[in-house]
Amino acid sequence: MAQVNSRAVDVINLMHYSLLQTDFATGTMAPTLAAALPSVQFVGDSLTHLDYHLRDATWDNGRPVLATDVAFTLKLMHCPELPNEGERTHFSFIRELLLDPADPRHFTLVCRGQAPEYRLDSGDFPILPENPLDPTHSLRQFSLATLQDWPRSTAPAPAVAALVQRYQQADPGHHPERLAGCGPYQLAAWEGNHSLTLQRKKKWWGDRLPTAPLVLQARPKQLQFLILPDDAAATLALRRHELDLYPQVSARDFQRLQASATAHRELAFYSGPSYDIVIAGFNTRRPAFQDKLTRQALSCLFDAKSLLAGTQLGQGSRTVGLLPPTSPFYNDSLPLPAYAPARAVALLRQAGWQQIGGTWKRAAQQLAFSVRYRADETTFETVALQFRAAAAAVGIPVALRPTEASTLTEALRQGDFDVCVRKLKGNPFAFNFLPILHSQSVGEGNFTGFGTPASDRLLEAIAAVGQPGRKRLLLKQFQMMLQKEAPLAPLFVLPYRLAADRHLVQVYPSGLRPGYSAATLTWAATPSPDH
Amino acid sequence: MNARGPTRFASGSAYWGAVAWLALVVGVGVLGPWLPLPYPPATPDLAHIAIPPGWGNSAAAHYFGTDPAGRDVLAELVFGARELLTLSLPATALATLLGASAGGAAGFWGNRGLALPLAIGPLALAAGWWLLALPYWLISSIILLIISFLIFIYQWKFARLGPRRFAGVTLPLPLDSLVLGVATLLSAVPRLVLVVALAAGPPLSTSQLLAVLVLVAWPDTARLVRAQMLRVRVQPFVEAAWASGLPEWRIWWRHALPHACQPLWASAPLSLAGLIGLESTLAFLGIGLLPTTASWGHLLGTLRQEPTAWWLVVGPGSALLFTLLALQEVARQLSGLHSSKEYFNKTASDVTAAHLRTKIK
Amino acid sequence: MHLLPTPLEELTLGESSDLSHVGSPRRLADRQAAQRALYHRLGLEEPVFYVSRSAHAPIRWYWHGTHNQYHRWVQQLLRGNLGYSYRTGQPVLALLQSALLYTLPLMAIAIGLATSLAIWLALGFALAPAEGGGWQALGRTLLMSLQAVPLFALALALLLLFANPDLLNILPADGMGTAYPPLGGLAWLAAYGAHLVLPLLSLVLAVLPGLVLPLENALRHELATPYSSTARAKGLTAWQVAYQHALPNALLPLFTTFTGLLPALVAGAVVVEVLFALPGTGRLLAEAAAAHDYPVVLAGVLLTAGARLLALLVADVLYYRADPRLRPSS
Repeated sequence: MAQVNSRAVDVINLMHYSLLQTDFATGTMAPTLAAALPSVQFVGDSLTHLDYHLRDATWDNGRPVLATDVAFTLKLMHCPELPNEGERTHFSFIRELLLDPADPRHFTLVCRGQAPEYRLDSGDFPILPENPLDPTHSLRQFSLATLQDWPRSTAPAPAVAALVQRYQQADPGHHPERLAGCGPYQLAAWEGNHSLTLQRKKKWWGDRLPTAPLVLQARPKQLQFLILPDDAAATLALRRHELDLYPQVSARDFQRLQASATAHRELAFYSGPSYDIVIAGFNTRRPAFQDKLTRQALSCLFDAKSLLAGTQLGQGSRTVGLLPPTSPFYNDSLPLPAYAPARAVALLRQAGWQQIGGTWKRAAQQLAFSVRYRADETTFETVALQFRAAAAAVGIPVALRPTEASTLTEALRQGDFDVCVRKLKGNPFAFNFLPILHSQSVGEGNFTGFGTPASDRLLEAIAAVGQPGRKRLLLKQFQMMLQKEAPLAPLFVLPYRLAADRHLVQVYPSGLRPGYSAATLTWAATPSPDH
Repeated sequence: MNARGPTRFASGSAYWGAVAWLALVVGVGVLGPWLPLPYPPATPDLAHIAIPPGWGNSAAAHYFGTDPAGRDVLAELVFGARELLTLSLPATALATLLGASAGGAAGFWGNRGLALPLAIGPLALAAGWWLLALPYWLISSIILLIISFLIFIYQWKFARLGPRRFAGVTLPLPLDSLVLGVATLLSAVPRLVLVVALAAGPPLSTSQLLAVLVLVAWPDTARLVRAQMLRVRVQPFVEAAWASGLPEWRIWWRHALPHACQPLWASAPLSLAGLIGLESTLAFLGIGLLPTTASWGHLLGTLRQEPTAWWLVVGPGSALLFTLLALQEVARQLSGLHSSKEYFNKTASDVTAAHLRTKIK
Repeated sequence: MHLLPTPLEELTLGESSDLSHVGSPRRLADRQAAQRALYHRLGLEEPVFYVSRSAHAPIRWYWHGTHNQYHRWVQQLLRGNLGYSYRTGQPVLALLQSALLYTLPLMAIAIGLATSLAIWLALGFALAPAEGGGWQALGRTLLMSLQAVPLFALALALLLLFANPDLLNILPADGMGTAYPPLGGLAWLAAYGAHLVLPLLSLVLAVLPGLVLPLENALRHELATPYSSTARAKGLTAWQVAYQHALPNALLPLFTTFTGLLPALVAGAVVVEVLFALPGTGRLLAEAAAAHDYPVVLAGVLLTAGARLLALLVADVLYYRADPRLRPSS
């Protein structure tokens, strides 16, 4: 469980199976090591019980994957000094794992709090074998909660310290071969920062399954991942068949490849809506942006339609809120935000601003501000330039402040910005906007500083609701609220783009990372038709 | 063999071409905001992103095409000339000036050549103490100032009374080690790492950016001039000047430095290209100037998003090339003029005069 | 795809406003706890240096003793340990070693090629009459144009020209092979060579103008001096005069320029490494600088500083050998 970034996760998922994994065909979580999705039972008003049954899976040495392995993984996650602070926080809601003395493959997760997304989230971590790391079962004497609540000022228990030392010495993060998982692939070669080769295990438990569901298929005998930092070089490598599949192609490269006749003969192109949305956020703590009329007015100055056409070249879609139009919860009765400088001027006047001597003034305030965005993103730069030009046309001076990624995150968290342009990553599984819009998340994910008692209540209700009909109603209300309050202006939903060899089938392209299903890829004799 | 004669200077059409081009760049740069451009700079035309040059009969065509953010290349070129005048050229000039004087002094005086009065020592210490606000800053600074003053009085008084042991003590400034040390320290950090690290901070204003560019560019010049100075210092004409009893600074300034700066005529235009190249590399890596600041290097950097857009190379690339060629040509002419006629005459007369004086002595 | 990764904290803790994980909402307190744990593991809780100064008035100085990050870093350094990368947790030494494995051979070949080519070209240019045309004038203009083209544009152009199925599809786009199982012996050498052609070509073409043009200038200057005229009067050919008499003198002020290339041996070339996907030191350092991975940046700076010092030493030794008058004793 070494420190991971999203690219590493994609590879780890092929070597180490989790309880649940993404099924790219349907865009949902499907049981992998678990035999089925867990059954949920709410206990009282603050606990959730998730009941899991494990599949008949085995480790490479033939030992079965048992509930004790899951318990060990969760406990290992909470051992100090291991590089998994992120996971530790993420899975802190799982407080205990109850083993079933009668069935070693059956266990119950006790979760603090009640949220619909616990069901899927609780199975999203790779399971590690207990025996190689802890042959004496020394962690079994501690409960999960004991390890979670261990005071940081106290030295860890000797057994824990010894285990941590063993783990650090084995360093499985950099030597995955020392800790074989129960996934179908093993690491064959790894050249840091350049390439990584995985090989299919010859004997793997999944082969015994009569009909393997999609998440348990492992077709390629060998998978090679290359890190090509430059887009142009990656495109050429694809054309030269040094690559067979290229996810997250830039809009221009995608268009260029599609335009080339030879490339079009050899490659298949896939694209569709992703769950990432480009937004402009207003710092509602600034006096000028405290009233929603000003925020609405400035939202009218973003030309989302032209920006989408210009930067995404025909793919992607506009949206009324933070949900993609393909979502069943999308509120299609709301109008799409439109570029309307005249309306912006009217709204500004309504908000009390007056144009005096070429500048907009209200009492002692003057409407002049800066836009911050990530310096290395052309799309953001284009958005900022368009906004600046549109604002200048109605007499609002706007300065641009492209900022390096880490500095920007810190500045946003501390509220050191006026307007920012950025990307919000979403997912199709759950709708929980608490981290970005709830008043309790100010200083954390809620960088706009927005939050009224009413909006907080609405967000909490959305996060807790399970029933689809009510959920639809609440989410439609949420999108309406977002347009009215305008703490952020949703601009457009980014598309995903993927180009692959025409003979590769079962790609299952998707807006979810990594964008395709690596383990199901198969070479077909006949090229796949156009998509 | 020597083609740098005055005859070529007079008839050099290349020279006049170079001057004309530089005048054009300066003119366009100065008059940029008042030129009738079809599109303003730093404004994206979202309907025409990265389109090739066109002369369509529409009222406002993109004569030089647009870049991947939809900005008009012609407008960016014109305002890029302005940026060249306000940033890149001054940065090169300042870096060359700083590098030449620092390197020249280091090579000329070495580690022991330049002696400062002893009183400077405590004075500098007092200033440092004061600026850093070290503990007891007021008292300590005052005590150091008094010490400095006492030393000054003592040395000044006894120097008049007659030679004493302490009176003659000076503080030799290790100029060579100092300059080399700072230059090495600066260039030890790879240029790009330095700029990436700086870019991680708050955005830079133009004058700060200028300072950063000068900071990264001067050590090369300094080392080059120092190396040449080591050689010039022991040339007969400099030794003759020493022997003739000319004041130190005059030998340095009039005799040694012009000779030591000889390689700069070739290297200064190159270092301008280096700075512009650094700028475009930064744009390539996604760091650097504001997108509202037009710059040729930045424009070249946008090539990464659109590698087949030849018009992003041809426009700024040829503007850059012509400017460099022109600067090189002008530099060549000026240095030719310098070394072949005036400069050698002057040196010769100075040296002859010095010879004569030594003879008279 | 971004060249520069998001910073350390984001990598470990995840971006706070990232909704792509299904998960319990994280609050400020959760994140602060995670942040503390992270800082504790990386040893970032301690003060940076022995002393620190309060940022605001009244200005005070604080003494922290030996419990500071710098002290521990130097202690480890003296034991030959450069520390561990914040990002990957790997020993910095191992990271640098594996990166140098790609950078050193590439840069050594590139610098060797560029230097010999530069001397040969400069001699050729300097011997041609300045007025006359011929290949020299063309070559000089070409070099000047090369000087105006940034390295990345040059490398990109080479890539699009020689590794493009639509144009010339003769060289690999990738800077190193990806064969698995690995090739052996001659096959490996051939593949390695083919993969290195484009990176090498871009590097050589990029440094050539900076070497040739000043050298030519110096050569012309030396050829105009009386001793060259004397040598010619003795009946030596123009080539002999230039090579045996003018070149050693002309090289003298340029030793620093040539030895100035040496640090690049270990520092690498970011742009080329990015374009040709080479996991060399340039990319390592640039990515570390952007992600604030200070142990790696510091080690890289130490390494290049060492190389720079060595280069200066080499330059000085060369000076004294070439021109005994410059020796400190004289």
